[in-house]
Amino acid sequence: MSDSATPVPKEFARLLLAYEVASDKPADAKDSVAFRVCEKLRGPLGKLMGVDGFRSLLSRALALACGEVPWLCSLEIKADGSLVGLDELEAKRDSRAVAEGEAILAGQLLGLLVIFIGPALTLRLLHDIWPSWTIEILE
Amino acid sequence: MKKNKIPARKSPKKVNPPEKVKIRQLPTGVRGLDEIMGGGLPEFSFNIIAGAPGSGKTTLAHQMIFANATAQKPALYFTVLGEPALKMLRYQQQYSFFDPAKLGEAIRFINLSHVVLEKDLSGVLEEIAREVQASNPSMVVVDSFRTVARKAGGGESELRLQAFVQRLALLLTSWEATTFLIGEYSEGEIHDNAVFTVADGLFWLTQNAERNSVVRKLQLMKLRGQDSVPGLHTIRITGDGLQAFSRTLGLVGKKTRPARPRRLSSGIPELDKMMGGGIREGDSMLVAGPSGTGKSALATQFLAAGLRHGEAGIAAIFEERPEGYAARARVFGLDLDTPQKNGKLEMLYLRPLDLSVDETMQEVLDAVKRINAKRLVIDSLVGFEMALAPGFREDFRESLYRMIAALTRAGVTIFTAVEIEDTFTAMSFSHYTISFLTDDIIRLRYVEIDGQLRKVMVVIKMRGGNHSKDIREYVITDEGVVVIGPRQTDYTRLTTGLPERIGQLKEKAPEAKAKG
Repeated sequence: MSDSATPVPKEFARLLLAYEVASDKPADAKDSVAFRVCEKLRGPLGKLMGVDGFRSLLSRALALACGEVPWLCSLEIKADGSLVGLDELEAKRDSRAVAEGEAILAGQLLGLLVIFIGPALTLRLLHDIWPSWTIEILE
Repeated sequence: MKKNKIPARKSPKKVNPPEKVKIRQLPTGVRGLDEIMGGGLPEFSFNIIAGAPGSGKTTLAHQMIFANATAQKPALYFTVLGEPALKMLRYQQQYSFFDPAKLGEAIRFINLSHVVLEKDLSGVLEEIAREVQASNPSMVVVDSFRTVARKAGGGESELRLQAFVQRLALLLTSWEATTFLIGEYSEGEIHDNAVFTVADGLFWLTQNAERNSVVRKLQLMKLRGQDSVPGLHTIRITGDGLQAFSRTLGLVGKKTRPARPRRLSSGIPELDKMMGGGIREGDSMLVAGPSGTGKSALATQFLAAGLRHGEAGIAAIFEERPEGYAARARVFGLDLDTPQKNGKLEMLYLRPLDLSVDETMQEVLDAVKRINAKRLVIDSLVGFEMALAPGFREDFRESLYRMIAALTRAGVTIFTAVEIEDTFTAMSFSHYTISFLTDDIIRLRYVEIDGQLRKVMVVIKMRGGNHSKDIREYVITDEGVVVIGPRQTDYTRLTTGLPERIGQLKEKAPEAKAKG
């Protein structure tokens, strides 16, 4: 059950999304920040657990996030594990709701990682993707 | 005639022959395994780790990569349609050797499932080659290789598989990687198997349930380039990962016993005289007798005598708790508590019921090494055997032989107590038939004399020299075992337990008879 692990990763995800927003996004990029985070995770996690493995994990995270933010239920995950439709959905909502939804989705994904491999390895993975981002919230 | 001067023959210049290639050995990270392998893992070797599910294949591979991988010399761990990587990491991180800091840079997990599903063997090889060339790893693991091999299918494709394995071995060796292919194989698959033919090393892991215990074994079926210890070695999986117990118990090449061994006191002056001056240093002495004849008292006195001379000792006890053992010693005026505190005595209480004989012996050996013990008491052999998992009991004699031989060779003097049942028609030394591994034998027994069950002892054998042939009576007092002065024996057939009086000597019973 992931609920117990949700609060910390949700907060953690918020910080990660904020970092991602402030980091290297090209000025003309249209992708949502949650999409970018998921995309950045997809490469290394896909390498670690396979495309199917990552897709399964993201599907579960999405299902859990839907319980909290119903509009996320319209999202789809492609065979390669990438998210589809986030930008279109977000265009219809105010920025606060979008930020909340994105944090919840990213939080669920990180929460699942924490559940399966623990905070130390999750942080290790994130550090490899965002090397200059230092945070100790999970510890 | 003028003789032609024959030029002096130049002595050929001494040229050192070119050196043989030295195969560097890598640590396995598995306690006991380096010794079994003859020093460690041969660098750049191409190995198979085979065995049934749950036999410890993945854990073994993980231990080896965690022991060797660094950011400069990373390890690549390819996972293929087996245990999902996420779950593997979830479980493997429970082991103490698992260092999360090594993940990412030093140890990289790569999932090959989609490649295996979507491409042919050449495609799989290409993918592995691409990753290897990108990372320049020092170690490569493919888990499970069996899945990759299935891609080839049976029949004619056997040749295709062999070619694939050959190319894989060439690639990884050329890139200077030490490789492990992990697979679930059964013993029937060893012969004519392309994978095993190419491999330099073959680690075979088994686990069998015997009665209520699980017996795990490791065998190095093949290891090119170096001498390994042959046979089946017990392994155990704990929170520290795998631990292997070499059949040689890590005692190969240890120093031999002193050329002129001293005579050590048993703690009982009269018994020392009976033994021709004491126990020869580095001897294995068996003290056999029925319950209540004072074997443990003798053992305690033997240890205490050593401690008085500054010789550290180990008591491996199986039938009594250390506190009880020390308390009984106190009754005889012997202090076993202080030397325990001072690190001169260790009392090992070993009754886990599922240990292998090699593990138990390793515990003893570790303790001997820890305090540089000169005397070892095993009390008793029956208890020792009972402490083992049933599946290991058949190896008991062989393992005991190995341990005693190795320890005595290193100069440790061993006192082994063995309980035997007295019959009143014969005098056996031990139902274990282990007298072949003892240098000295002392037999204790009950005899019925004049309405009392009295105790006698006799030195049966002293390999190092002459000894008294007298059968001597003894008592156990608050000083321990006390041997009574030489008897004016007027009994015969004492060894039967039912002696016959042949003289008329009036003697006083050593312990007062009840008055009626």
